[in-house]
Amino acid sequence: MKKLLFLSLSTLLFISCSSDDDVQPEYVPAAFEKGILITNEGPFSGGSGSVTYVSNDYATVAQNIYRTVNGNSLGSIVQSMGFQDDNAYIVVNNSNKIMIANRYSFESVDSITTGVNNPRYFVEAAGNKGYVTNWGDPTDNADDFVAVIDLRDNTVSHTIAVPYGPEKVISYNNDVYVAHQGGYGHNNVISVISGNSVSNSIVVGDAPNSMVIQNNSLFVLCGGKPNYTGDETAGSLVEIDLSSNQVVNTYNFATTEHPSNLTIDGSNLYYTLNGKVYKIDTTSISLPGNDIIDGFFYALKAKDGFLYATDAKDFASKGALKIFDLSSNQEIQDFQTGIIPGGIYFNE
Amino acid sequence: MKLLQYYIIFGFLLCWGSITAQLDSIQQLPEVMLTDAKLIHYSKGFKLEKLSDSVVNRNATSLTETLRFNTALYFKENGFGMVASPSFRGTNAQQTAVIWNGININSVFTGQTDFNTISALSYDEIAIRSGGGGVQFGSGAVGGSIHLNNKYTFINRDTTTLGVRYGSFATIGATATNTQSWNNHYLNLGVDFIRSKNDYDYIGKNKKNTHGEFLRFNAKVNQARRIKSSEISWNSEYTLNDRNFSGSLNTQGRDGYKDIATRNLFRVKNKIGAFTTKTSFAHLFEQYRYFPNTEKQLYDEGKANTFIGSFQSEVFLRKKLRLLSKIEYSYLNAQGDNVGENTRKTLAAVVLLNHRIGNNFSYGINFRKEFLNNFENPLLFSADAKLKLSHNYALRVNGSKNYRIPTINDLFWVAGGNTNLQPETSYQFEIGQELAFGNFKTDVAAYFITSEDLIKWVPTNGNIWEPVNISETQNYGVEVTTSYLVKFGKYRNLNIRANYSYTKAEDLEKEKQLIYVPYHKATGTAQYSFKNFSAYIQGLFNGEIYTTTDNSETLDAYNVYNVGISLLLPKNDKITIGGRLKNVFNTCYENVAFRPMPSRNFQIFLNFNI
Repeated sequence: MKKLLFLSLSTLLFISCSSDDDVQPEYVPAAFEKGILITNEGPFSGGSGSVTYVSNDYATVAQNIYRTVNGNSLGSIVQSMGFQDDNAYIVVNNSNKIMIANRYSFESVDSITTGVNNPRYFVEAAGNKGYVTNWGDPTDNADDFVAVIDLRDNTVSHTIAVPYGPEKVISYNNDVYVAHQGGYGHNNVISVISGNSVSNSIVVGDAPNSMVIQNNSLFVLCGGKPNYTGDETAGSLVEIDLSSNQVVNTYNFATTEHPSNLTIDGSNLYYTLNGKVYKIDTTSISLPGNDIIDGFFYALKAKDGFLYATDAKDFASKGALKIFDLSSNQEIQDFQTGIIPGGIYFNE
Repeated sequence: MKLLQYYIIFGFLLCWGSITAQLDSIQQLPEVMLTDAKLIHYSKGFKLEKLSDSVVNRNATSLTETLRFNTALYFKENGFGMVASPSFRGTNAQQTAVIWNGININSVFTGQTDFNTISALSYDEIAIRSGGGGVQFGSGAVGGSIHLNNKYTFINRDTTTLGVRYGSFATIGATATNTQSWNNHYLNLGVDFIRSKNDYDYIGKNKKNTHGEFLRFNAKVNQARRIKSSEISWNSEYTLNDRNFSGSLNTQGRDGYKDIATRNLFRVKNKIGAFTTKTSFAHLFEQYRYFPNTEKQLYDEGKANTFIGSFQSEVFLRKKLRLLSKIEYSYLNAQGDNVGENTRKTLAAVVLLNHRIGNNFSYGINFRKEFLNNFENPLLFSADAKLKLSHNYALRVNGSKNYRIPTINDLFWVAGGNTNLQPETSYQFEIGQELAFGNFKTDVAAYFITSEDLIKWVPTNGNIWEPVNISETQNYGVEVTTSYLVKFGKYRNLNIRANYSYTKAEDLEKEKQLIYVPYHKATGTAQYSFKNFSAYIQGLFNGEIYTTTDNSETLDAYNVYNVGISLLLPKNDKITIGGRLKNVFNTCYENVAFRPMPSRNFQIFLNFNI
């Protein structure tokens, strides 16, 4: 009887079913050319983000490609990605680093771990310079900066102090336009950086969250301040003339409308608002434009007649990439991604 | 390695088994002596477990560790000593109430108790009541409730205990208490303190747990006086926690948290004929400061004062029928950088009844109705019954409706707080069987819980997260608790205690298991005692858990073992020395993804009883 009890107790204690060495075999294409790259922020609470690849013919889908190729994870909160030549600069926000990989093989090339603090977005300009927006300490509104990276040796060569909350960046000729969305608060400025200093500052609407360039115009979509601030302001679409750096047009939304995710294909702008995708023709802008697709999307990119949109679902499970044909506005594809898919990029 | 573990421990147990001997003073399951009347008399059809001092002492770093190794509760712990939130029968962290001397002390901001802020050594009694206790204990007692009680007696005594502990990762702890009673007075004073650098290795990762330093200090005063037929008592405690928050496998920790709580309870108990009345006044204070960067002095703060006044009257008729009615008013004032200043007033009326028919059957019916709340005021009820079929076997059943009210953060957080929230509600049913054959006791419980209007923070347009009454869950499971005392002659004994639980907790919309709820969990302890010497081995098996709501990612199952010895010095029975070795096999395990728990570590202790 006693022995039996010990036996049953022991059995209970020794049910062992973990196998730490199990790594699920992933299909790895020879190269991640001609396809869509999705950056996935990854789970909250210190998990790792990842990159998903979907080939242009939709035949190949590969998850977690950086880890699969290199064996190590990218780090916590994969915020965004930028490119220069064959290199992808993957901005890892919470781990305070930039991981550099070949954009076609995804083999690790280098990493930048010093000189960045809460990095957000990367853009290349003037051939050998990279510009990375940094929030710094989120409680300190005065320590925000743009790190200038010398792309020849991948080190931070200069640090440019900028106003609060630098977020998205875009380059035009050799200048870099920085949208100051405002971190955890709100700001309303576009900084223009030439070389290693701020050369101009353009006031736009509150919370500029996305930018696109068409010909000589920079379109800035401003979300406006949301209701909870107690000082709600309307979203707006601001057009800036890139030769003069002057605001030439401002189009206002209704006060309670807070649009985001501006993207462009040909002469059409697309953005999201209140669970819908809207389309505006830049030759005759009127807001809000036509709503063409229903859905809450976390990231949006239009390209060559297709709209690529990610769904982060409940932010605690695998997300999805949905592809719409813009001639019919119908969904044509739906792929699983990693957790919180926040960025859409293209490899030729 | 796994095989080796098996042989070592299996062999260990068998060796003990072949020794012949005896003793006592164990975990009495399920009959326990409890001080809170609501637990003693009005919970007969519910599962109650009491943790004895020896059980608590083995895992005394915090209440998290105590409960993890001795009960079916699962704790989501952000690295050792960091924020730890429970899952009791698969329910969420806000659905486990912590009850201090009869008062719910879950944070008014988060609705939950961080179990690492509670010292396991500051109470005379720690009890676990499984199942719905909404009628008796209010909001949050859905999965179950954890009871921290201080007792008093008027039997003359004067005892002092002093304990010091030292362990790996620069951990030091000390406890001192003095308890006196004389004539009609009772006085209990105590302090408990622990601090740790907590810089353990992340096994196999070539990294250390950095920025995880913690300190906890608790002081208590418990006093009582008897004046004729009245008893006046005062319970008071102060707790301070100062922690840096660890990073994860992918991040460097930078933030920190300081919290302070004070709790005071005055109670006057009167006996008037068949009636016993209790008039109570309580004040609870909580304050937290969150430092996003511990190198700077910037912080977000919240503090809250809760005042509770209650009157209850209990009548005991013909030694069979107990009827308790209680009216309780509470006033809460909370203010914080993220929630502004808000007040909440609640009036609650409670009626509890227990009726015994014959010697072997009793049943209870209980109601609670609340007033004044800004949301729908629920009528809560529960019913329970216990039937003793023989000396060896008893059957119990209970069913209840419980709730969890929206917290101050849920309602007023900027941005997102939603003042239109309604309470979460749940219905549950449980059937339990208690078996006892001499020193072998076992309890098998099966339960079913269905919950609706669960409050969940979801992203809304513009990426603002907002809480809404959206999800529905269904939990069911089985729990087996067993204890066995084997006595070998006069001086030796072997005491075994084991728990196993199966928990299915399903999100009804997604049809997936809830995250951070293991299907299987088992704990077991075997302690061997010989005269003044005792040794134990303790094991924990935690099954695989899901970390994403689509169940696409998991944390591995793990086994962790601890061993320990203690010796009461033979020529001086006032001093006990001993040591513990935790995580004997240096297993890498996580209770929250990417946040490993400690590597193998030791602790030595020295206790004086004067």
